[in-house]
Amino acid sequence: MKNNVRDRREHAGESQAELAVAVGVSRQSINAIERGRYDPSLELAFKLARHYECAIEDLFDPEFGE
Amino acid sequence: MTETPTAANQRLDRRKRHKQLMYGSLLVGLIGIVVGALIGQYLAGVLIYWAGFLGMLAIWQVSPVTLYDERDTELERKASDYTLSVLAITGVLAIPGLVLLESEGLLTLPAAFDGAVLVFVGIFIVFAVIYTGLRLRA
Repeated sequence: MKNNVRDRREHAGESQAELAVAVGVSRQSINAIERGRYDPSLELAFKLARHYECAIEDLFDPEFGE
Repeated sequence: MTETPTAANQRLDRRKRHKQLMYGSLLVGLIGIVVGALIGQYLAGVLIYWAGFLGMLAIWQVSPVTLYDERDTELERKASDYTLSVLAITGVLAIPGLVLLESEGLLTLPAAFDGAVLVFVGIFIVFAVIYTGLRLRA
């Protein structure tokens, strides 16, 4: 599943470490999500969306996958 | 609210340090039991091993930072899945094959083979029980 977490994060001027702490995961997990190597749980997806004050669909797009 | 870069890095550093302490505690326990066995001090070795293991659990429980996140859990789940698959394939192919070779007089299996088969079967019985329990609750 593709996502634009990296774009959002960079636009917000945050580091991976800051985002990781904000949503309660490791920096490696944020890195894995941004590189499309790990699809977060629904709970973490909601946390990310809430953090960037957007809808989950604005961050993740399953249509891009496969 | 996002923490400052320094605060965020400090928090991640602390997570890393606590994880290292956890693994260090377990490593001390493992070294203790091996050294204890080598020098004939079994009781001391086992006590050090238990202390190391309990130390690891204690650090995990009392640490104010989250040491494992959902990706760690997912990786463990995948590793367990692959391990069981490898064991199943190995067992299905190897155990009957070895028994066949012995029955044909081509091979003499060591006495430990029966024990290994029992452990192997036990693993899958435990898996079946846990799987059934989870399925009933799901």
